[in-house]
Amino acid sequence: MQSTMREADPILEVENLSASTDNLPILKGVSLTVYPGEIHAIMGRNGCGKSTLSKIIAGHPSYNITNGDIKFLGENINSLEPEERAQSGIFLGFQYPIEIPGVSNLEFLRVSTNARRKFLNKEELDTFDFEELVKEKLEIVKMDHAFLSRSVNQGFSGGEKKRNEILQMALLEPKIAILDETDSGLDIDALRIVASGIKKISNAQTGIILITHYQRLLDEIKPNYVHVMSDGQIIKTGESDLALELEEKGYEWTDNFIKET
Amino acid sequence: MEIIEKIKNQFNDNLTEIQKICLDKLQEIPLPNPKSEQWRLSNRSKFSNFLNYSVNEKNPKFDTPFPNTSQGTIRLVIGDNCQINLIEENYSIKQLSEDKLVKYIKEQISCFEQNENWSDLLNLSLNSTKNTLGLKINGSEIPPIEIFSHASSNSLNAKTLIIFLEKNCDIDLLQVNLGKENSSLSQSTFFCLEENSSVNHGVVSYGENKSNLLNSLNVIQQNNSEYNLGSLHFKFNYARFEIRIKQSAGNAKTNIKGMQITKKDEQISTFTKIDFNGPNGFLDQINKSLADDKSHAIFEGSIIVPKIAQKTDASQLSRNLLLSNLAQIDTKPQLEIIADDVKCKHGATISQLNEEELFYMRTRGITLTEASKLQLSSYFQEIISFIPISKDRWDLLDKLLKEN
Repeated sequence: MQSTMREADPILEVENLSASTDNLPILKGVSLTVYPGEIHAIMGRNGCGKSTLSKIIAGHPSYNITNGDIKFLGENINSLEPEERAQSGIFLGFQYPIEIPGVSNLEFLRVSTNARRKFLNKEELDTFDFEELVKEKLEIVKMDHAFLSRSVNQGFSGGEKKRNEILQMALLEPKIAILDETDSGLDIDALRIVASGIKKISNAQTGIILITHYQRLLDEIKPNYVHVMSDGQIIKTGESDLALELEEKGYEWTDNFIKET
Repeated sequence: MEIIEKIKNQFNDNLTEIQKICLDKLQEIPLPNPKSEQWRLSNRSKFSNFLNYSVNEKNPKFDTPFPNTSQGTIRLVIGDNCQINLIEENYSIKQLSEDKLVKYIKEQISCFEQNENWSDLLNLSLNSTKNTLGLKINGSEIPPIEIFSHASSNSLNAKTLIIFLEKNCDIDLLQVNLGKENSSLSQSTFFCLEENSSVNHGVVSYGENKSNLLNSLNVIQQNNSEYNLGSLHFKFNYARFEIRIKQSAGNAKTNIKGMQITKKDEQISTFTKIDFNGPNGFLDQINKSLADDKSHAIFEGSIIVPKIAQKTDASQLSRNLLLSNLAQIDTKPQLEIIADDVKCKHGATISQLNEEELFYMRTRGITLTEASKLQLSSYFQEIISFIPISKDRWDLLDKLLKEN
């Protein structure tokens, strides 16, 4: 079941991944491969392990990998720190972006961007050059310059926080972006802005994983693959029409699925 | 008793009237009662070490990493009178005469509670008028003022500051207490705010290796006065910051944002007593502690609301960050309310660095060390931004905090 030509090497390979937190198993053998240019959607009930999968790929220290591997650009990254994963091109867009009072958004974005640029052997940007770059990227998510002088996400509305996530994605130019419920809490206009931002940033060399509950984001960004998760496993994989079927029949429909191997 | 003898020997019985009064009082209570609330958590060996240095009235050459006076800022160094005349010529700032100083201090002493004001009694016993600065300030066009107190190595120094802020006066005042290696500094400050006056008061105290500080601040606020205090204490082996504020007739506003940072085996404590002596008083207070290594940070705050202080609106919060398993934080915000029509709240939290904030920053490529620094600097921000300090000093303070 391939809807894109998979000629290049994969960006991300999750192989039979099991993970736990506080000795509680959360993921129970997840496998997923993302090639350049592909968009994958992961859907599933609350608590099925979608967000955990995204956090584990990003390196959250609270989870232990008990089995399996995560490979990024062919290299095993199981033991890499979150910052090393981010610098090498893995981006996690948070469902609930964290507020950091007292840290200016502009400085935060600049430090992050330079950490990535350093990894790519690009020249680090001083405040003035960074201002130029960020001005250009703000356009993508239609954000006002005033957001930069505020503390990171502090006092931002739900929509503004999500747009700030996409702004970070635009600045960091990741190889793979995992967007965890980026559509939650967005009104129709904000959803369109965010979706259009994601489309502008993604290209034939990048991969995207969209974690979502709803079809409405997938109407804006058509995925190549849709995966359904349940109880820490991917129980079904299909093409974009699987999401439509889910929308119509609900998750109860998936309860009878036998895990596809 | 040893300290009393030491003071008497140092001054060869050439004691001033104030010194005599205070020494008599100290005879009654030569050391603070270690069982009292104010002193029970104080590290006794560190406190003994504070008193161990020889009494010294001489001031070393003034040496501070703070850059020279910013344009339009008045800088005064307690014990160094040379600049006072210049100030009197240009601004409405007058130095208090010795008679007035003595009269005021005597009035203050008569209100002292022996154990509670022990630090002030010690300070005034140690200090002839040489290291006392008294200022009377009026007018509304006063430039920012910086007042420095500095210790000298291997000595016990005492500095006293008295400020009268006259009616309708409005000032920014930064007080800097500088510790020296192996030194003890006793600083007592008496602040009187007359009707409709307002002050943004910053107290920044930082020491060096094995420096100690007893810092006592007494504030009296008259009707419609506003007192804003931003304070920061760090890098002392042992430091106590005692704040006593009395809204003498209510109808006054007090805002306090303070922070203490402890590392190694340091102990820094803050004690506050806010006394509402009339109706419609307002207080908003936050105290932050940050303790690392094997250090110990203490906060004890009390708010007194007697029957006369109806319609008081007071809030006291203590927020604390514990950065090591061996560090210790004690905090005790408390209310004593007799009046029945008041709005008072207090609370305390002790936590560690926020894991989710750290993870968020790390997923953006920021290293754990950098992310921790950013988080700590955001923790400081609320307090630092409240200290009236000019930009060129702020950069330095930021550097000192990062070094710490």
